[in-house]
Amino acid sequence: MALANAFYNTVVKRNSVFVTSIFAGAFAFNVGFDIAVTSFWDRWNQGKQWKDIRSKYIQEESDS
Amino acid sequence: MASYAVRKSINLAPTVRALPNGIPSAPRLNLAARAPSDGHGHGAAGPRSDVPTRLTGTVTSPSVGLVSRTFVAPSPTTHLHQRLIHTSVAAKDAPQVPDFAPYRPKDETTNRAMSYFMVGSLGVLSASVAQSTITGFLETMAASADVLALAKAEVELASIPEGKNVIIKWRGKPVFIRHRTPEEIEEARTVDLKALRDPQRDEDRVKKPEWLVMLGVCTHLGCVPIGESGDYGGWFCPCHGSHYDISGRARKGPAPLNLEIPPYDFNEADGKLIVG
Repeated sequence: MALANAFYNTVVKRNSVFVTSIFAGAFAFNVGFDIAVTSFWDRWNQGKQWKDIRSKYIQEESDS
Repeated sequence: MASYAVRKSINLAPTVRALPNGIPSAPRLNLAARAPSDGHGHGAAGPRSDVPTRLTGTVTSPSVGLVSRTFVAPSPTTHLHQRLIHTSVAAKDAPQVPDFAPYRPKDETTNRAMSYFMVGSLGVLSASVAQSTITGFLETMAASADVLALAKAEVELASIPEGKNVIIKWRGKPVFIRHRTPEEIEEARTVDLKALRDPQRDEDRVKKPEWLVMLGVCTHLGCVPIGESGDYGGWFCPCHGSHYDISGRARKGPAPLNLEIPPYDFNEADGKLIVG
């Protein structure tokens, strides 16, 4: 209840603040979503990507 | 042959609705109309109250006697008092209203904050979607990765000894790469910036102090300067005599700006410089 009131009074009450926080939130959401999807992708494809297997091939080249 | 005439008067049921006082309802008929020439009216308009209506009976005086007729009118077949809005159902002042109290919010402010939060969340989502849509659309206009890869130039750094210049071609333009000696770096960094035409620190012009990478196009009119010449130990443009120092900064002559720095990167693993 107190949280709801605080949210309403700080964010919503003034429309300029509301819209600004929406855009800021969109930016933060973009970044966070990107990070989340990228980390999920890396985990899903672990050991298949070039950055994971690069060390093997580079070492082989230097050995030979 | 004697003929008998049996006269029998009956009143047919009225085909129109009758008013409570027995007069058929004829809305368009003005029973109260008087002749305009009748100069002696009898008060208010309407049927006379002291004489019964001719419908109920007549009093005539033929040559012999007095005949009084009274018509017996059967009760009208329609309802006299039509109740167009019937009130047969007992009107309850407050019909059974369910109790909504359990469904009402305990606190209005929580609901309000929740509503605005949902509105804001939708705004965040739609702004994000719009942003990524526009970005995706704009990215289709950018050069693709294969084009960008062709537009890069790679240089083996190990092949350039210290204190030597190398000129490579990158997107049709010469690029100067100089492996600077520590003395040259020291010289480039101790220059008084106030004396420069286009003040720029040497630290801002190089990513690694020993490698100076810049476009070999004179900022005056686009000639290619000559390396290791000029008054300042850097480059000299033979077209109009602009002098550049060991950091590629314009020092003398008509050149208005320092030599331009292209985007470049070092590939540490392979010891290569990638311009572009």
